[in-house]
Amino acid sequence: MRNILRRLAARHRTFLIVTAIVLAGFQLLISAIVAGVDVESAFAQIRAFAPPALLPFIEQSMIGSPQGMLAFGWNHPITHALLTAVAITLAARAIAGEVENGAIELILAQPISRAHYFTAHTTFGISAITFIILSGVAGSVLGRQLFGLPPIGIADASRLTVNLLLLQGSIYAMTLLLSAFGRENGQVAIGGVLLAVVSYLIEVISSMWSKAAFLHPYALHSYFNPRRILTEGQIPTASVPVLTAFIVLMGTAAFVRFRNRDLP
Amino acid sequence: MNPLAISDLTKEFGDVRALRGVSFAVAPGEIFGYLGPNGAGKTTTLRIILGLVRATSGSVLLFGQAPAESASRFDIGFIPGDLRLYGDMPALATLDFFARFRRKAPVLRQRLLDAFALDQATLKRRVKFLSHGTRQKVGLIAAMQHDPALLLLDEPSNGLDPLVQQAFRETLRDFAARGRSVVLSSHILSEAESVCERVAIIRQGEIVALESIEHLRANVVRKLTARFRGAVPDLTSVPGVSRSEIHGDEAVLWLRGNPAPILKAVAAADVRDIVFPEPELEDIFLGYYQSGSQQSPRPASDA
Repeated sequence: MRNILRRLAARHRTFLIVTAIVLAGFQLLISAIVAGVDVESAFAQIRAFAPPALLPFIEQSMIGSPQGMLAFGWNHPITHALLTAVAITLAARAIAGEVENGAIELILAQPISRAHYFTAHTTFGISAITFIILSGVAGSVLGRQLFGLPPIGIADASRLTVNLLLLQGSIYAMTLLLSAFGRENGQVAIGGVLLAVVSYLIEVISSMWSKAAFLHPYALHSYFNPRRILTEGQIPTASVPVLTAFIVLMGTAAFVRFRNRDLP
Repeated sequence: MNPLAISDLTKEFGDVRALRGVSFAVAPGEIFGYLGPNGAGKTTTLRIILGLVRATSGSVLLFGQAPAESASRFDIGFIPGDLRLYGDMPALATLDFFARFRRKAPVLRQRLLDAFALDQATLKRRVKFLSHGTRQKVGLIAAMQHDPALLLLDEPSNGLDPLVQQAFRETLRDFAARGRSVVLSSHILSEAESVCERVAIIRQGEIVALESIEHLRANVVRKLTARFRGAVPDLTSVPGVSRSEIHGDEAVLWLRGNPAPILKAVAAADVRDIVFPEPELEDIFLGYYQSGSQQSPRPASDA
């Protein structure tokens, strides 16, 4: 398994390091922006001029405090896009990508079981996502320190990391299931992106539009709430069990399919 | 114990029956040829042996274990017909990568590098920058470097130049001499003929012959075309000629067994040109079908 992990690290090293730097830089930038504006008056102005339909969404995401604004940095589309790109790329390449490039035939002809191969890829995937999240957290910690903002506590940083890891882990597991059925990296990646975007949009729309509120529980992104973590010090009650169950379900289905399929 | 034993193997892909009742075993120290035209089921058989594809029915035992057990693949080497290595890895790192899957040291690496004329400068280059033939050499060394007890080779000579092919065949003979077994899958008869002691011939998913190479040679029907300056002599009574066709000054003859009598007879006439190509697999099928056990197919030359 260590052999495959080493290979994956060598293959994805540049992509992961660049993504980590960009996310850390983005969180640092958010700190700089928050430190440079009067958040409460800016928020009051936004509230005054925003369409009524947008108010619930704005209130939920852009709370008029430095902590709320910093939390918004973790729910920003750029943050999600960076992390989701990592989750989807690694999951799509794990099986479908290796089938497409033909390497899986030679790898699985070696004395390793499919369970070992699968475990190596999932271990690497989850570790890589954790690494990117921690880089972002490090950027945020550094930004707060540099720009004189209230520091983020270890407990809150841990909660944020766990919640975001569960969300991105869910996207990884969902894409891994597609990958276990797929033969082409690109097709699987597109499928993963579509599902992630739909989940994000459902979360946004169901937050903004009361008639769509019933959809809220069906979006993965509904179970990630950085505002609540950073302002109230709590992970939403349902987040951990729902996202964990989703990861286990998708991951198990992906493994069963991978174990039983003919390759390549 | 035979390193490989296959019994009544069947594989269906939906409505397509890719393999039907395939059975054979490979003994220690044997180079076993697995011959068949493209699409006959050779690669599917190898993939089942390796546990990549699941058989619909039948059994495969690799060193007495089922292919699903990863330990069964501990002492084998494999090169696929369509070799794909990681393009971003240097050749040497590729060899190291495959060596690390086993606890056995790559004891034959240096000898194979020398035999296949791969130098250190080539080993430092990334695989994607290597020629097809050089990539094939890297794949062969990756498969053989740990001196496996069983080698599974799917069209291994793809892209190799004649000199390297010769070195490769010598390496296979050396493997067999040390008690290692080899399964050589190919659609080229001459490739198997030069190293194999025994061959199985598969066609449309069924083994149509499982013979020693000598017996195969004796059964093969070969086509000889001779053009004469004058009248075409009557060659139908020459020993070994099973069929003949005359087209003007040209005689097309189908021969079985020793070609010496017909070559003498042709040479005695006023011959202008002679074409006696390597037998194709189709010629072998023809030989077996003409033996009467199967329905009569069209000869390859008529196709």
